[in-house]
Amino acid sequence: MSYGIRTAVLGVVGLGVAFLTIPMIMGFQRPFIETVQHGPRGVAMGLVYNKADEAKTAPANQVPGYLPALPPVGPKASVVYKNVQVLGDLSVGQFTRLMASITQWVAPAQGCNYCHNPANMAEDSKYTKIVARRMIQMTQNINQNWSTHVAATGVVCWTCHRGNNIPVNYWYDTPATPGTDTHMGFAAMTPGKNHPTTVSRAGISSLPSDPFTPYLENAEPIRVQSTEALPAGDRSSIKQTDWTYALMMHMSNALGVNCTYCHNSRAFGDWAQSPPQRVTAWYGIRMVREMNVGYMDPLAPVFPDYRKGPQGDVAKVNCVTCHQGVYKPLYGVSMAKDFQELRTVSSSAHPYTP
Amino acid sequence: MAMLSFEKKYRVRGGTLLGGDLFDFWVGPFYVGFFGVTTLFFTIIGVAMILYGASLGDTWNVWRINIAPPDLKYGLGLAPLKEGGIWQIVTICALGAFCSWALRQAEICRKLGVGLHVPFAFSAAIFAYFSLVVIRPVLMGAWGHGFPYGILSHLDWVSNTGYQYLHFHYNPMHMVAVTLFFTNCLALALHSALVLSTLNPGKGEVVKAPEHENTYFRDIIGYSIGTLGIHRLGMFLAMSAAITSGLCIIISGPFWSRGWPEWWGWWLNLPIWH
Amino acid sequence: MSEYLNILTRVQVRGHYEPGIPLPRGNWTRSKNQPWFEYWMGKIGDAQVGPIYLGGLGIASAVCFMIAFEIIGLNMWASVHWDFVQFVRQLPWLALEPPAPAYGLHFPPLAEGGWWLVAGFFLTCSILLWWARIYRRAVQLGLGTHTAWAFLAPIWLYLVLGFFRPLLMGSWSEAVPFGIFPHLDWTASFSIRYGNLFYNPFHMLSIVFLYGSAVIFAMHGATILAVSRFGGEREVEQSVDRGTAAERAGLIWRWTMGFNATFESFHRWGIWFAVLCPITGGIGILLTGTVVDNWYLWGVKHHIAASYPALWGNVVDPATLPGAASLGVVK
Repeated sequence: MSYGIRTAVLGVVGLGVAFLTIPMIMGFQRPFIETVQHGPRGVAMGLVYNKADEAKTAPANQVPGYLPALPPVGPKASVVYKNVQVLGDLSVGQFTRLMASITQWVAPAQGCNYCHNPANMAEDSKYTKIVARRMIQMTQNINQNWSTHVAATGVVCWTCHRGNNIPVNYWYDTPATPGTDTHMGFAAMTPGKNHPTTVSRAGISSLPSDPFTPYLENAEPIRVQSTEALPAGDRSSIKQTDWTYALMMHMSNALGVNCTYCHNSRAFGDWAQSPPQRVTAWYGIRMVREMNVGYMDPLAPVFPDYRKGPQGDVAKVNCVTCHQGVYKPLYGVSMAKDFQELRTVSSSAHPYTP
Repeated sequence: MAMLSFEKKYRVRGGTLLGGDLFDFWVGPFYVGFFGVTTLFFTIIGVAMILYGASLGDTWNVWRINIAPPDLKYGLGLAPLKEGGIWQIVTICALGAFCSWALRQAEICRKLGVGLHVPFAFSAAIFAYFSLVVIRPVLMGAWGHGFPYGILSHLDWVSNTGYQYLHFHYNPMHMVAVTLFFTNCLALALHSALVLSTLNPGKGEVVKAPEHENTYFRDIIGYSIGTLGIHRLGMFLAMSAAITSGLCIIISGPFWSRGWPEWWGWWLNLPIWH
Repeated sequence: MSEYLNILTRVQVRGHYEPGIPLPRGNWTRSKNQPWFEYWMGKIGDAQVGPIYLGGLGIASAVCFMIAFEIIGLNMWASVHWDFVQFVRQLPWLALEPPAPAYGLHFPPLAEGGWWLVAGFFLTCSILLWWARIYRRAVQLGLGTHTAWAFLAPIWLYLVLGFFRPLLMGSWSEAVPFGIFPHLDWTASFSIRYGNLFYNPFHMLSIVFLYGSAVIFAMHGATILAVSRFGGEREVEQSVDRGTAAERAGLIWRWTMGFNATFESFHRWGIWFAVLCPITGGIGILLTGTVVDNWYLWGVKHHIAASYPALWGNVVDPATLPGAASLGVVK
């Protein structure tokens, strides 16, 4: 090669390296970190937080100001208003306060009219009202029956909605993966993996991109690690493990934690070595399944098409819907303690019919 | 202990860095020197502390002995002896012994009138260890981030530290380090095999020459780096493997606190794709 | 302090282009390119590039490799709908995946893992032909066949990963995908599925030899460079006719650690450390899932797992509690 060509090649390579190096270095964080030990000393179980990250996460996960609770005095809502199917036992004052709170939590911009026809507040003409009613029942069910996951802290609409009509984080069924193209007979298997995933799905790894359908909607087995030292018939595959791994990546990113929050990774499957948070997470998976199958999926006929995903399914819940990057939603501050009406399933509630 | 037949003429005074002629002597085949004494000093204390730490534990099973660093709450301060203090002393002793060893190698090389490549190469290994037990713990604010001294317990530490970043294989510097380790292993095999094949060509063949070595590699891959170059390459690969290993753990935590796969977002978001 | 440490070649002497030792009759030819010297390569090693031997085995190997490479690349490209920009952008994430477990050891449709088998077949052919090439080249030059036997070690590891172990497990799906990040996913999932590979004693050995190889090569490279002022890089000559370089090289280590290898025996240490890394690694992989299903529990059984204080009291598997099976199940 002549000297000129060689110089040109070196120049292009140099420019390329510089072009890649700058964003790569910008990709790192500055070393101001906070760590929390979460296991015996020297075992490296614990959480690692970058302070710059935290400065962004913390303000987004604060409890808003809300109206004070009112005593149950005065006539009941079911007496004064028509078509109150779930919250009829509340006093008018309590009922009005909850309606105002829901507006603040879910439709602060649109106000009452987001769900109600202003000409006839009792009418069920807007789909949002039907959905809202179902969501109130869901909230009550979570608080009453899923204390294994939400403990005494409980949840309210704000926990997920944060002032948005639709919580910021949800999931739809994914369209068939890009790998389904059988053109010329190449690559068509649909392993649902081997493409960059979003942070929420599997943390930009090439692991399976939809860990939700099998585990947070269906109840596919998550446990893949053998419980016997020697082969005893466990046929869980490595590919199956990829899917479990993807789910765990989702859970970690949703909570802003890492694998060691729930596991001693030397023995992922062993409960005796696991922090108790793993139990809470186990119940969380079941709770989310119930929310998706018992509440969201049956609302499919109610939602208009523009609220549905590319596969025509309704938006569904996963861990990040509530947690939003924090180990306990809203850092564990309980709003439900001031909304007792959301803590138990209303006696007047219609039994649900999925 | 008997000297090698040619050894006597090399055993001359001088070349020491510290201590003048005071420690300039041999014990059996071993050269002592000032740094031999300090190596011994740190080794004895360090090993004694490990034995003491083991005696406090519940096992003498060599696989299970565990000398753990302090809890994170002690930060960068000293911990009580039985709660990580032993680990701190062992760490100081280990660094003292490793550095003494490198300086003793330097004295030996000076005495022999050869280059200082050996202590220089060893410094890469010391850097890797120093990264694990000093640089990263300091950047993360607690000695408790160091790794425990125990055969299986240090593996548990490696495992959990990896999963603190969800999928450690996506750590770019870890990728580089592993690649260098594998390449080093390959290059070592190729070099060793080539020299052995030249020296041991089989029955009825004479020992061959570097011209044959060069021709062999040019024949199979079109390039032969040569007898001098292969040692430069080997030293480079081995040292870089150790140094990038150190870097890959330094960046985990201080410079990246999330899952390593997520770090790759910068590549997916480069403006050139649009 | 400053002294010449022979890190880079300062003055490059440009001799004639070495055509190489003449080959015996019956061989094909070497490439006949123009003399090609690379200045930057000359800084660390030989500046001469080429010639390369052109022979049937090598060409067949290269052709097989290209076929495998193309199959893998085209499948990856197809997986992004033949979008070239996305192909480059997503390349590290893309893969050619082995068949699903349902296919066992059967040959699946091409698009569902068949291509993986075909690519694996051609890659294996390529590697084995390359093995034959380096064996033949050594014989033709009158050298020992050590390089070829050493190359068998990584081939063993490769065949265990992609052939022997899947065969024993009865499923191609157990094998490694062709892809950059996906093969890393496979490695992690493999360790998780089989209960932590760090507890696999052959994995331990393999790592020891991998790190050991780095230590060995650092020691060796540094030693030879340190005595290069006495001609230490002429290892073959100094092995048969010891000079001061070899004597000093030996004494560095004798005085440091009481023991030294010779210029020849050092390479025996080197070759064994290097080949034992993939050999033990391959054994460890082959035993995983076939003989041992959970390495951590295997370690517990053999009393090697360290014990830690229990911090959390009694954490019980909730799936074992009454009513667990119906939780979250909507009737």
